[in-house]
Amino acid sequence: MINLRMTLPLVLGLFSIACSNEQQLPEPLRKGLVYCSEGNPEGFNPQRITSGTTVDATAAQLYDRLIDYDAETQQFVPALAEQWQALDNGTRYRFQLRDGVAFHSTAYFTPSRPFNADDVIFSFNRWLDPTSLYHNVGGGNYPFFTATGLDKLIKRVVKVDTMTIDIILNNADSSFLANLATDFAVILSAEYAGQLAVDGTPERIDHQPIGTGPYRFAAYRKDYFIRYNRNPDYWREGPQIEHLVYSITPNANKRMLKLVTGECDVIPYPLVSKLQSLNQAQIEVKSEVSPNVAFWAFNTQKKPFDDPTVRQALSHAINRRAIIDAIYYGSAERADSILPPTSWAYSANGSDVDYDPEKARQLLRQAGVRDGFRMTIWAMPVQRVYNPNARRMAELMQSDLAQVGIDARIVSYEWNSFRRRLSRGEHDTALIGWYADNADPDNFFRPLLSCAAVAIGSNRANWCHPGFDQILLEAIATTDTETRRQLYRSAQDLLNQQVPLLPIAHSMRYQAQQDFVTGVELPPYGGISFRRAGKELKP
Amino acid sequence: MTRFLLHRLIYFTLALWLLTVFSFLLNWLFPGDVITNMSGIRAISDSYASEFALRGGDDNLVMQYVYYLQNLINFDWGYSLVSQQPVWLEASRTFMATAEILLLALLLALVVGLPLGALAAMRYHSGVDKTIVSIAVGGYSIPVFWLAQLLILLFAVKLRWLPITGQIDPLFLIEPQSGSVLLDIALSDSAHKAAAYRDALAHMVLPVIVLASLPAMLLLRMMRNTTVEVMQQPYIKAVRARGLSPLRVAVKHAIPNAIQGILQQLTFIFGLMLANAVIVESIFNWPGIGSWLLKAIIDRDYPVIQAALLILVATTLFANLLFELYRGWRFPIVREERYGAT
Repeated sequence: MINLRMTLPLVLGLFSIACSNEQQLPEPLRKGLVYCSEGNPEGFNPQRITSGTTVDATAAQLYDRLIDYDAETQQFVPALAEQWQALDNGTRYRFQLRDGVAFHSTAYFTPSRPFNADDVIFSFNRWLDPTSLYHNVGGGNYPFFTATGLDKLIKRVVKVDTMTIDIILNNADSSFLANLATDFAVILSAEYAGQLAVDGTPERIDHQPIGTGPYRFAAYRKDYFIRYNRNPDYWREGPQIEHLVYSITPNANKRMLKLVTGECDVIPYPLVSKLQSLNQAQIEVKSEVSPNVAFWAFNTQKKPFDDPTVRQALSHAINRRAIIDAIYYGSAERADSILPPTSWAYSANGSDVDYDPEKARQLLRQAGVRDGFRMTIWAMPVQRVYNPNARRMAELMQSDLAQVGIDARIVSYEWNSFRRRLSRGEHDTALIGWYADNADPDNFFRPLLSCAAVAIGSNRANWCHPGFDQILLEAIATTDTETRRQLYRSAQDLLNQQVPLLPIAHSMRYQAQQDFVTGVELPPYGGISFRRAGKELKP
Repeated sequence: MTRFLLHRLIYFTLALWLLTVFSFLLNWLFPGDVITNMSGIRAISDSYASEFALRGGDDNLVMQYVYYLQNLINFDWGYSLVSQQPVWLEASRTFMATAEILLLALLLALVVGLPLGALAAMRYHSGVDKTIVSIAVGGYSIPVFWLAQLLILLFAVKLRWLPITGQIDPLFLIEPQSGSVLLDIALSDSAHKAAAYRDALAHMVLPVIVLASLPAMLLLRMMRNTTVEVMQQPYIKAVRARGLSPLRVAVKHAIPNAIQGILQQLTFIFGLMLANAVIVESIFNWPGIGSWLLKAIIDRDYPVIQAALLILVATTLFANLLFELYRGWRFPIVREERYGAT
């Protein structure tokens, strides 16, 4: 009949499309790599942000730093600085810069000169010097540098000659080099900035980035993709692929399915247990011990969370063991301190806050919190290393809290709005976390719980304790490891008493990829790196 | 016909006008600054003052509405609060992406639904009829998102034939210019156009099938029922009595008459598909207007919400107008023209 004649070609057409996947991959797919990232970047300048999503998207791909940290040898290695030395008892560092490093040449910028001292000075002054032209572009917030105190530590950056600079510190600091090697201390192009200033569009510097890294920026479409092209003039060994695409896929299930269908080459934060049950031979799961912590922060500037008793009560109300089993599927351990046990400064004495609803009720009564008290739990909408599913975690906590007579409501927004609102302190409590940017224990304390961190909004507990701040300052002023260990121990003890936040878990970082993908690295400190990425396809 | 045309056009214009008034008033109903809601430019921004003047922030409501209309017509739809991209640019791209799968799905639904419906009616109460009807009831009852999951599991995860998200593999480097991926490939200077077309079509298969399933089944049932009705009309009996072959009866007389009744329902089906497009686009990450609206609602991106609503409603109205006009032109009885009087 008529209908058969009409549908037959259609069906055949569908099959011919379907079967094309079985044939050899077309050339563009062989020469490119798709990374299915978990969210939109906030911008393309890691100086201005702290979110891991943005770091993963930008730092190691677009930019280089003066020095890098090699986790294997636990040493700092040269990058844009060929060598460096500490002078004047550790208050002045001299960096000898690398010759012949080219900035990206793109559709919107063509560099006329290679990298030199002016670029370093411009990049540092962007966050260091409030009077510099670019400091206030984009709001003038540099959370990482404020939180680590790097902006207070560095007195100034001086050009010695075209390829030499001095960084002069206010005092010797044991964490200085570690901070310079982080993903945030990137080098931008002073020439590009100058050109944008002339054009009257300085804000472009963070949206149409120019760096020296292994990839050049090509395009970004919110909620869909970021596209990078290989930098052919890269100063060290670069990637084998021509194109790198971040396909933005916030849903963890969809990410996993896209890996299975071959639409993604690499995915972060896979649902490991589900992936293994699918039993896909061509997929590799990699894991990396990662210095991180998931925690539940109480907004200590809101009543009744300003009362340590209430915070202790809430800590006892949560069954963390059950939460960890349900959320992490055994890929995490319960956190007894904000520091992970692998840190040399870790101390756990007296910090075991057990699940005890009875005690929680009693403490709540003591603090005068009535039955049926209502509060909000802000659960982040994305998966992070430290927390693969904060919303599910919040649901479990909701039922735990109901047991002690608290009516908790779960609040969530799109990731960037979420973080913005948290910085404004709109939350009662928040489920979020942190992973370290460098190997120094200081990185877990000052960015998260110092008074300076309250001011810039990265202290999710809005907790400012002068005594605690004093301990942290003493701890970085000395280089003696034993003294520092003692100080960090007393800092952790203070946290156990005050409970501005409840540490929940330290987790492993996972990544899943097609087995033909090579060279995609997950450094323990910092974001993913595609610098050596390649594909080994069968001919 | 002129009278009918004018009538419809006036109704269409009136509805469109009411829509702009409603959309304009939304700016007051949304929380926050009215000018910000309209333009997507926050009060702290440098360009707020000029935007305020441009949109008549100090004038009365009527003047503001006039400015609003002016901006609307000039495609100056403000900026997204979240991405700070011009709303019109995103709106036109996402609209084209939706139109692409919507039209293909409608075509597929017609191609599948109408012939099968007619066939079932011709074989009324036979085994063929019963099989077709049970498939239709089944297909009609499966929720769109569930069907999508099943198809994804079968074709993408098990068989690995088809991809599940987006319009095309991003490594083809096809820049979104028009928004419709088939057009964009044609506009691009890609050296691998054939492979790109193949990839884009493969991406389209699942969303189009899922989007077409419900309307196809609806059309099938309607077509069957109306054809059955038509077949019992005296004029069919008359042509049969004259000895026309069953095929000729169907093709020449029954089906054209049945289709007229169906066309009336197309507006409704189109509206249904537009609503389903929101779900399908979200499932398959299709960068269409539905998923755009959904994200804007989650992010409270008021200029975008407004624009997406405006376009969705205007599209429905316009489709409605087109169907009406086609019916009026094709089937004079619809025009209700009274000859001689008034």
